[in-house]
Amino acid sequence: MITAIKDGLRAGLITAIIFTFLILIGFTSVAANIIGDILGNPQVLNNETRLPVGNLLIFIALVGLFTGLVTLKKGSNPPWTDVLFRGLTGGILAGLIVGTVIYIVGSFHMEGVDFRAYLPNLGASQLGYLLFYSTPIAASKTYLLYFTVFSLVGALARKTLTMLTGLRNKLKSIKSQIIDWSDKKNFHSLVGNQLFQAGLIILVGIGLYFLPLVWGSYWNYIMGTVAIYILLGLGLNIIVGFSGQLVLGYVAFFATGAYTFALLTAPEPHAVGLNLWVAVGLSTLVSILTGLLLGLPILRLRGDYLAIVTLGFGEIVRILIRSDLLTPLTNGPKGVTNVGQPIWRGHVFSDVNYMHLLMLLVLAGLFIAKRLKDSRTGRAWIAIREDQTVAQATGVDTYKYKILALLLGAAFAGLSGALFASRNQFTGPEDFALMVSVNVLCIVIIGGMGSLPGIILGAFVLKGLPELLRELADYRLLAFGALLVVMMIVRPEGLWPGQNSKKGKMATFSNSLGEDNLEEKV
Amino acid sequence: MIKKFQNLNITWGTALRYIAGLIVAVYLLWRILQTTSIQGSYGPDTWMRFLITGLVIGGIYSLIAIGYTLVYGILFMINFAHGEVMMLGTFAGYFVLEAFAAISAPGSGDQSLSLLNAYPFPALVITFFVGASVSALIGYLLEKIAYRPLRGAQRLIPLISAIGASIFLQNAAQLLFGPQRRQYTNPDLLWRGTGWMIPVGEKSVMLTYTGTFSFILSILLMAGLLILVKKTRLGKSMRAVAENKQAAALMGIDVDAVISKTFIISGFLAGAAGVMWGIHNGLFNHYVGFIPGIKAFTAAVLGGVGNIPGAMVGGMLLGLLESLGPAILGIDFQLKDVIAFTILILVLIFRPSGLLGETLKEDKV
Amino acid sequence: MKLPVIETQNVTMSFGGLTAVDRVDLVVPEQSISSIIGPNGAGKTTLFNCVSGFYVPIEGEINFFGKKIKGLPTHKICELGISRTYQNIRLFNKMTSLENVLVGQHPRMNSMWVESILRNKHYRQQESQALQYAYELLDFLGLSDLADIPAFNLPYGAQRRLEIARALASQPKLLLLDEPTAGMNQQETAEMTSLIRILRDERKMTVLLIEHDMRVVMDISDIITVLDHGQKIAEGKPAEIQSDQRVIEAYLGPGVDEITKKFNRKKTNNAKS
Repeated sequence: MITAIKDGLRAGLITAIIFTFLILIGFTSVAANIIGDILGNPQVLNNETRLPVGNLLIFIALVGLFTGLVTLKKGSNPPWTDVLFRGLTGGILAGLIVGTVIYIVGSFHMEGVDFRAYLPNLGASQLGYLLFYSTPIAASKTYLLYFTVFSLVGALARKTLTMLTGLRNKLKSIKSQIIDWSDKKNFHSLVGNQLFQAGLIILVGIGLYFLPLVWGSYWNYIMGTVAIYILLGLGLNIIVGFSGQLVLGYVAFFATGAYTFALLTAPEPHAVGLNLWVAVGLSTLVSILTGLLLGLPILRLRGDYLAIVTLGFGEIVRILIRSDLLTPLTNGPKGVTNVGQPIWRGHVFSDVNYMHLLMLLVLAGLFIAKRLKDSRTGRAWIAIREDQTVAQATGVDTYKYKILALLLGAAFAGLSGALFASRNQFTGPEDFALMVSVNVLCIVIIGGMGSLPGIILGAFVLKGLPELLRELADYRLLAFGALLVVMMIVRPEGLWPGQNSKKGKMATFSNSLGEDNLEEKV
Repeated sequence: MIKKFQNLNITWGTALRYIAGLIVAVYLLWRILQTTSIQGSYGPDTWMRFLITGLVIGGIYSLIAIGYTLVYGILFMINFAHGEVMMLGTFAGYFVLEAFAAISAPGSGDQSLSLLNAYPFPALVITFFVGASVSALIGYLLEKIAYRPLRGAQRLIPLISAIGASIFLQNAAQLLFGPQRRQYTNPDLLWRGTGWMIPVGEKSVMLTYTGTFSFILSILLMAGLLILVKKTRLGKSMRAVAENKQAAALMGIDVDAVISKTFIISGFLAGAAGVMWGIHNGLFNHYVGFIPGIKAFTAAVLGGVGNIPGAMVGGMLLGLLESLGPAILGIDFQLKDVIAFTILILVLIFRPSGLLGETLKEDKV
Repeated sequence: MKLPVIETQNVTMSFGGLTAVDRVDLVVPEQSISSIIGPNGAGKTTLFNCVSGFYVPIEGEINFFGKKIKGLPTHKICELGISRTYQNIRLFNKMTSLENVLVGQHPRMNSMWVESILRNKHYRQQESQALQYAYELLDFLGLSDLADIPAFNLPYGAQRRLEIARALASQPKLLLLDEPTAGMNQQETAEMTSLIRILRDERKMTVLLIEHDMRVVMDISDIITVLDHGQKIAEGKPAEIQSDQRVIEAYLGPGVDEITKKFNRKKTNNAKS
């Protein structure tokens, strides 16, 4: 009983904190809007200053349900009375805390205190909505009621679910089927027929050719961005995913590629007017040289030092680009405009052409990455990632292979930088902030380090979804941050891991297997 | 000695490194000679001003750097989110000062006299304490939520988690408090831009009150930390855990508790540094922790990660290099961040164990 | 005169103030099984690390077929023909058994990364040869059923054997085995012993091993070297080592006659059985 109450209080406290946080970052009203969208409820009532309270209540109910669900621990199956207690205590505590917060804030609001100077999301309209346009005391009572009732429902529902073991087993079998399906081997035996494969490839090819023609320039823009990030992801994956070197300044290569291309093709500031395809090649080359410049001295460093040094390098490149020192060369903070665009059959590249080119490059990139991964080179990289000391003692020249990985990764980045600049017809220093590196790193990690389908998935999740869910754009980075932490704890191998890591869980081998115990304990 | 030389196995990489190092050193010497001996544009008063700025900012870097070093010494991980811990301290201090400034002092008939100006020192003490405590709490939670479940995982994993935590905290602060820049309300006594005038040569240089205050406070905090680590029971157990976790656990030390306390101490110092930053510089927003965070990491590396006095010296040195560097090298002040990062890269290439050396054995790292 | 496989002269290695290996001379003749024994902390693994290039000795020379190898990076030493296993198994955990062995063949292959993208004839030939040899090795070590299992998930004994397979993949002339039978039961130990013999007799290799199990050592070694506190205190055939007073002292402490007798009795029993 005591553990039940304890668990309940714990769950209640956690949800109360999360909910208060959501209120303070203004997420509650956004969530209510989204719920309204999904249910098709009107966004604005006839009285234009008021939002529909029902949507918010549904959101609160959902949070309440969540409270109830987490009062029960995974795999446990306590008796019904216990469940009752868990649900009640959790809900009541969460309701009390949130209710009190709402009451206090609401009372101040009623007395005319303006919080916006310090907490911009507690403006009059939002607060009114949170108070259901009634008095603070009535609102806080509603919160308490909703949290209690739905927490209880949640706890009971979870208990019911645990009892329906049949259903769970069914879910499990579906899950394992999906896993089997994604397991490359079974997948291959399923579609092992070469004719079938060829047909599939042709079908997908036709689909990919016609899609950009059909779905309009908005989608071409979004999917083009996704494609550029897939290319970046493929490149960084060679460095981080294959060879295991955590490079945080990947954006530097992207930037050098974009700037080289822009400066060679734009009329301002240099008017070189180079042939565009030569410029693309040159920008890739310059990125590779940058990689060499960076890699030669630092690739001997230990993993986490490498991360910080490359991070510093990325920042140096950005600061230099926008500094007065290099403004004559790079146009400084203004950036370079009118970047060259390729000509195709007498026309300047349209969004459809760009999309086709990008798709082609993504396919080529996937092809190259795949072939590298399954070769002597790829095996050497993965061996370095797994245990550098042993890899070297097994005959792999680790330094050489790490540099090779960095250069190939830089080449991918340089190429996508050139395309990025050309497609946007503009490039400026602020395009290359640290967040680009972090985004690409997230793509590689969230998809699953070293896994190629994972990168495509990651790029869609990280660059595609936020474009579609515009309302959530403000919360994107917040969610990324949280996602990275949660992923590392729950599923460090990524959403779509490489073929091997599924069976062997990545994380916890003891220190003795790391690079540590070289020295005999004398 | 000769034998040692025979044992040196010079490969192309090392040769290249040393040649590059030589070129950099010669260039630096040439620049320094040029800017100091030849009648430069800077007078002694300017140099003095740079020196003061360097020391003040150096004190702040030192405090943050200690946090990196303490955590690295025990967990061998870079607490990437440490800058964000400092940033939240800056915010907390700001809100406390705002509150003090908003409430008028009781007892005095003057309505315009705020609590802040009526009792500036108690107010400042409370501000620092609250700011530091908030950071300490964040540090504690950070370890508990984002790092503890990853104990014993591959080394990249906690680092990625730390990067995630850093992004989360930065954006949480932006969403909570808004993206605009804010300005610290100092008590009149410590108003920014006021200070003692010190005559240097023909001109005089201002030694600001805020700068002096920050510097002294950072020295006091560092002294306190050294005493804590050297003299107290907690300090002893911290050193024991840093040396060997298993052995420490066998000796009856609660390793988890020691790690938690380490994060609390690091957070506390970072929070104090954050409030100092606010009081001294005034303007801040949610990005305030990022650059000082990386700079402080550089400082920690400069002094030798894992080495507490090293972090202090490294912080001061980095502050000085950053404020004097552009002048010495004769480059733009915009590029002072580049100097810090370049130093980081150079140190890691030529002397990865830092100036004072890592106190850790290589095999642990 | 035939050159010895490994000849160390005066090799010394110290960490801080502590001398882990102290002026050790070691000669390993070709196609032999040589063992290094000694109490814990005697410097056995440190000596191994010197030979395989993890450490550069602060003094002395190491020759491999007369060629100086001191100071060479570990991958060069591996290319020359020295492979090793580790006391605490160090496999590439997320790679399968097969892939581990393929990595082992790295120094014997020379296809470039460009070739692996183009998949030209040279690359295809080399890959198929490598694959064939890898399966042969896995078969040789009784691992062919486990070829597609990640190394991390293999049972302990299989992990030890896979380490040897990986080491053999580079077709070394000298194999360094660091406690190959540690943690194995009697049957597994016997299998390992016969495996080491096969390596010498059929594959014409030289094996240098560190071993704690005296039965194994006395059973298979041609020459035994005994280290204590970093110094070589005895060297010779198994029978000579067994009766060496200094060795017994190193293991059991001086002047304990009772235990000495027991030790001798046990050893002779073991030798009989």
